[in-house]
Amino acid sequence: RMKYFTRLRVKRIYEWRGAPIGFNRKLKTSEYGSLSIRVEGFPQTTVIRAGQHILIEGDDDDNPYVARVLRLFADGRGAQKKAVVQWFVRVSEVPPSKLKLLGRSPHPQEVFFYEGRSCEDEVNAESVLRPVQVTNAAQLHSKTHMLTLTKRLNEKNYLLFSQMNLLDGQLSSDEDEEEEEFVPSRKELQSSDEEEEEDEELAAKKSRRSSSSHTKQKTRTPKKTPRKVSVSPVLVQLELHVPKFPAAGQATRSDPSCSSFLSAPLRLHVSAVPESLPCREQEFQDIYSFVESKVLDGTGGCMYVSGVPGTGKTATVQEVMRCLQLAAEQDEIPPFVYVQINGMKMTDPHQAYAQILQKLTGQKATADHAAALLEKRFSNPAPRKETTVLLVDELDLLWTRKQNVMYNLFDWPTRRHARLVVLAIANTMDLPERILINRVASRLGLTRMSFQPYSFKQLQQIVTSRLNKLKAFEDDALQLVSRKVAALSGDARRCLDICRRATEICERSAAGLVGMSHVMEALDEMFSSPYVAAIRSTSTQEQLFLRAVIAEFRRLGLEEATFQQVLVQHQALCRVEGLQPVGVSEGLAVCRRLGACRLLLLEPSRLGVLQRLWLNVSQDDVLFALKAD
Amino acid sequence: MSKRKAKDAHLPIGECISQVHQILRKRFCHQQLPVKPEGVEAQHKHLAELLKRTAVHGESNSVLIVGPRGAGKTMLLKSVLRELSQETEVQKNLLQVHLNGLLQTDDRIALKEITRQLQLENVVGDKVFGSFAENLTFLLDALKKGDRSSSRPVLFVLDEFDLFAQHKNQTLLYNLFDVSQSAQAPVAVVGLTCRLDVLELLEKRVKSRFSHRQMHLLSKLTFPQYLERIRDQLSLPDDFPDGKFAQEWNAGVTTLCEDKSAEEVLQRYFNSSTDFRSLHTLLMLCLSRVSVARPSITPADLLDASRFCLADANANMLHGLSILELCLIIAMKHLNDVYEGEPFNLQMVHNEFKKFLQRKSNSMYNFEQPVIMKAFEHLQQLELIQPADGASDKTQREFQLMRLMLDHSQIMEAMQKYPQCPTDVKQWATSAFA
Repeated sequence: RMKYFTRLRVKRIYEWRGAPIGFNRKLKTSEYGSLSIRVEGFPQTTVIRAGQHILIEGDDDDNPYVARVLRLFADGRGAQKKAVVQWFVRVSEVPPSKLKLLGRSPHPQEVFFYEGRSCEDEVNAESVLRPVQVTNAAQLHSKTHMLTLTKRLNEKNYLLFSQMNLLDGQLSSDEDEEEEEFVPSRKELQSSDEEEEEDEELAAKKSRRSSSSHTKQKTRTPKKTPRKVSVSPVLVQLELHVPKFPAAGQATRSDPSCSSFLSAPLRLHVSAVPESLPCREQEFQDIYSFVESKVLDGTGGCMYVSGVPGTGKTATVQEVMRCLQLAAEQDEIPPFVYVQINGMKMTDPHQAYAQILQKLTGQKATADHAAALLEKRFSNPAPRKETTVLLVDELDLLWTRKQNVMYNLFDWPTRRHARLVVLAIANTMDLPERILINRVASRLGLTRMSFQPYSFKQLQQIVTSRLNKLKAFEDDALQLVSRKVAALSGDARRCLDICRRATEICERSAAGLVGMSHVMEALDEMFSSPYVAAIRSTSTQEQLFLRAVIAEFRRLGLEEATFQQVLVQHQALCRVEGLQPVGVSEGLAVCRRLGACRLLLLEPSRLGVLQRLWLNVSQDDVLFALKAD
Repeated sequence: MSKRKAKDAHLPIGECISQVHQILRKRFCHQQLPVKPEGVEAQHKHLAELLKRTAVHGESNSVLIVGPRGAGKTMLLKSVLRELSQETEVQKNLLQVHLNGLLQTDDRIALKEITRQLQLENVVGDKVFGSFAENLTFLLDALKKGDRSSSRPVLFVLDEFDLFAQHKNQTLLYNLFDVSQSAQAPVAVVGLTCRLDVLELLEKRVKSRFSHRQMHLLSKLTFPQYLERIRDQLSLPDDFPDGKFAQEWNAGVTTLCEDKSAEEVLQRYFNSSTDFRSLHTLLMLCLSRVSVARPSITPADLLDASRFCLADANANMLHGLSILELCLIIAMKHLNDVYEGEPFNLQMVHNEFKKFLQRKSNSMYNFEQPVIMKAFEHLQQLELIQPADGASDKTQREFQLMRLMLDHSQIMEAMQKYPQCPTDVKQWATSAFA
């Protein structure tokens, strides 16, 4: 600050160049094409035009704010010169904790697109210092937005623009050769993207503004007042959770003929992992800070994560680990080893030892030997030991009678020299209380986190964020799906699957948007009980047999009968219907066919006529199905 | 011209008949797929689209085809695959793995089979084959390394899908579905099953990973359509070498289908089961009777064949019993009537038999205990009687509790047809009181 006052301030003179190009009657503002800046005592003038990047006076004279001029106008009677700008943030303005999520070391001269809305975008034109050259990294080095123009960047007047793509860690670590191959298609992609967006803009300029999140170059109206700007973590966090395209979605977009429908199912595919996970911000933060603190302190610990299937447990933890690994690469936190095992992906709980050892050291060993080696590794001090983070997915599968695998997994972190962090994932919230014996549950500790099933609003958000700007669903339709799934299970996979199926149905019927009818059809396909339809499609004798079963149940007052008993009823029914009564063999064949598709439950067939049978459908369903015939 | 000539050429009748046998047998034994899907066009299109997306675009998918036995699940899949294999892009891309729940009874075997069918044995290394655990890790790694754009898609067909759900922890299903729902090598998992409750068999994690796409093959056939299909099945194709014979044959088939008694037989068949597999058995029997001397299928053939097919197996077995064995069966029937289905032992049966001898018999004599015992054992071997549950092997044989595995109607039917059955035995069987 002191520097600010001691330094000699130069006086700059601002003048409009040319006549106003437009006049807004309502606001009484007149718009100008360009502005000239002249420093007092110097002959040369610089000209600022809309679309140019500029530096704006701020707190720090060495690092003035960066922005792009969108519009220049004069207020009222031309007394005040104003500019509408799009802000950029410098590396130094981004809080370090967020910056490490970028996944690479940013160039000091790099700027990021600023999308927060809490900064005034209208500035006094007289705070403009000078124009600056900003190169879009994305255009030059499409895949990673990495800057390679180090030479030019050494000059002060060059800045490099890159999208705030902080969660995009995977892409940036790719090899160069591969990227070169990708460049042409990606360029094509970008241009087609922009065209598409422009069209959309024309159509729905106003409504789009607030919702568009993808095209950062195009989004306007972030607000930032130059004098009091500081990018608070909250702002950046907003930006972090803006979903981007799933990688898989991007690949198809390079296909020029692709309509919105070709890509919508792909974006909705469960495998298309989005770069950020909406609706799990809090959990992300909690797990992140837990692991981060353990890694920083060099201690160990356990965390138990629970939640029903499809609530994003594994995805969130993996996301955390990816971010932490990036942080470690940039020396923000000490390096650590990350090992992941899955109870479902091994043949025997004891294989866990072997898998952990192999992933840690590359060593192959039998389960017993591996257990001994790991025991040694985690109990003895070693110089320059790194923290190990172990993710144990589907923990309940590691259950053994003596529970020694689980015991060891949770005991090691408590050792003094272990430096082991264990993240255990399972479905049931009370797993430790239910199946773990006390000494294991005690070691697991109380750091628990439970992932609640998604609510319908969250499911809606997940689908919308995956679809991004693509308008493929009618609002009602999407709401129906998410409400239905939220009521059933809150499983995001299910929601995405239904949406994907609905888009397919819609595509087939060549309708524009996925509407209620398509969604209903998809829901019907997936959730409707097949029993009634199945009963209707059975043969006459099979239907008679079912009727005989019900008749016999009523006679006995029981929900169970032997085949022999039912056969008597069946033969009687045949006579009533005027059909030739079935023999025992034929009757048994009918019975077995019904048993095979589980309309009936049967005892083993070696019992012949004595086998007992039960209905696997409610009697009402059977009667309903048969009556409607 | 020459073609026409060939068509009109008259082949010797024997040659024609053997050709007929060859063509129709191929159809009835399911060695030949029908030219186009019948009755399942919608499902065919859906499945073809789905598999094409995997094969061409590398989008992972999972689907279950559910339908009763003989509904044409495998046929549907096969005809879709046949259609797809005609596209070169698919043909050179798609790898197929076919598993059957009856063959791959646990995950270890299934895994070996997958590795074998993907021809990865050599990759696994010189040590013939690693442990189950190593195998699994290897395969998962292999699938994980792939991605949408560069890997060849793999189609997994799981026949008798429900049996895979019985494998320990459902490891295989979990992993297959997991691959299909994550950005790994593109896979399509197609499960075939006849169980309607198949989704309830899946463990919750596995279920969550399954896409819940189901195709139900339920027949909506009416009897006229059924008849139409039978006619198609029996008719000879246009390119049959002997045109005149084919014409005659087809005309014969048409009259057969219009015949009243034949229609009755078929109606009964249709009432019992609408699936074509059992029908093929019937038609196969008719076809085997076709010879040079009888160069067409008559309604009588159909009737005989249906009688043969619908015959009661157990009642047939009774025809071959000795009089003594038959008498024991009748005694058991009476015991069943008296004690309302409670199990009985040899001694009780023997007593019942002795009562009959004392009161009414004039044609039968008492037998020694060992002879009765032998007869009893023979019945047990034929599984006409079975030890009751909970009957331990330790009890003496004559006191071991048994149950009769026959229905009364079967016994009565057998009595009617039994050759030279003494009248007093017949009377004893029909009398309400022993």
